[in-house]
Amino acid sequence: MNASTGDLWPYLLVIVAGFLPTDIWRWLAVIFARRLDEGSEIMIFVRAVATALVAGVIMRLVLLPTGDLVAVPLAIRAGAVAGGFVVYFLARRSMLVGVLAGEAIMVAGAYFTTG
Amino acid sequence: MVESPASDPTSSSVPPTLAARAWYVRGLSAGITSVQGWVLIASYVGFGGLCAGIGFPPGPAVFSSLLVLALPSQLLLVGGYAAGNGALVIALAVLLSAARLLPSVVTLLPYLRGRGRLVVQLFAAHFVAVTIWVESRRHLPPLPVEARLPFYFGMVTVFNSGSVVATATGFMLAGRLPHALAIGLTFLTPISFLLALTRNSRDLVDYLSLFLGLALAPLFAEFGGKLDLLWTGLVGGTAAWIVHRWRGRAA
Repeated sequence: MNASTGDLWPYLLVIVAGFLPTDIWRWLAVIFARRLDEGSEIMIFVRAVATALVAGVIMRLVLLPTGDLVAVPLAIRAGAVAGGFVVYFLARRSMLVGVLAGEAIMVAGAYFTTG
Repeated sequence: MVESPASDPTSSSVPPTLAARAWYVRGLSAGITSVQGWVLIASYVGFGGLCAGIGFPPGPAVFSSLLVLALPSQLLLVGGYAAGNGALVIALAVLLSAARLLPSVVTLLPYLRGRGRLVVQLFAAHFVAVTIWVESRRHLPPLPVEARLPFYFGMVTVFNSGSVVATATGFMLAGRLPHALAIGLTFLTPISFLLALTRNSRDLVDYLSLFLGLALAPLFAEFGGKLDLLWTGLVGGTAAWIVHRWRGRAA
């Protein structure tokens, strides 16, 4: 692979692996515009697979990171997720408070362990 | 161009183009003042930071916000790239996850019909994602039929351009912030998505698919080979759905 195709590859990836597989559903919806029941079994199944996929990619990013997060010890990464989760529930399901708590653990941990 | 208001204030003879432009501007201002819109823009700052943190290049990161405009798809895209997955595997994961957009578009379509032109509908549908869906369901139904499409495109303009600027901003911030804060920015999308998925969970099937996705990911990463992400989604989602079916029958 030469330099120019190497540079263009991520753009192509965005089109082929991001744009097309996302927009195909938007277009199918227009073309087969029957009313779909959001509570139907097939939609519940679709939602379940989508949720598991996104949960899976989050777990990968945190547990098996690449790039910057690698520098942070596993215990702190796991602690930031767990802490954010626990505080979210303690704060009566406040997303803002949960995110801030997880972030505080991550930033403090990164500050003291990676310099 | 500008019609004198004195001539006929209740006039229906206002040129359609002018009226459409006025509705477009109202859509713009609805987008700018939307709380959901600002949450979206903050999320895209986090996405830009994540891309910087995992080594996804800035141009394609911004390009994805311009073109894909669905954060879960983009998260799978850059996460798959960081994990070294091939294009086909990433495309399949995005395809599976984006299926949830189909009912969103279908429920919004009655308000986006316009003059019934298929090309316009396809173009309008391209911009449907969670935030625009929520705001459209709130703003569009009370509007006159001819106002809906321009108003919608006004909101879309704000959300899409805001996402693009936010992604670039997040990427640049990651390079300038102190190291610990840059790491915090990288972490923003994962933690907020995790809590958003938890918040959006209504039934057992939602909680179970979330939990199984989290639990199976490290397992398949170790033993699932190149398709680990797909296995996580398919096995976790299917298992959650089977339990949901089984409980439904038992009840």
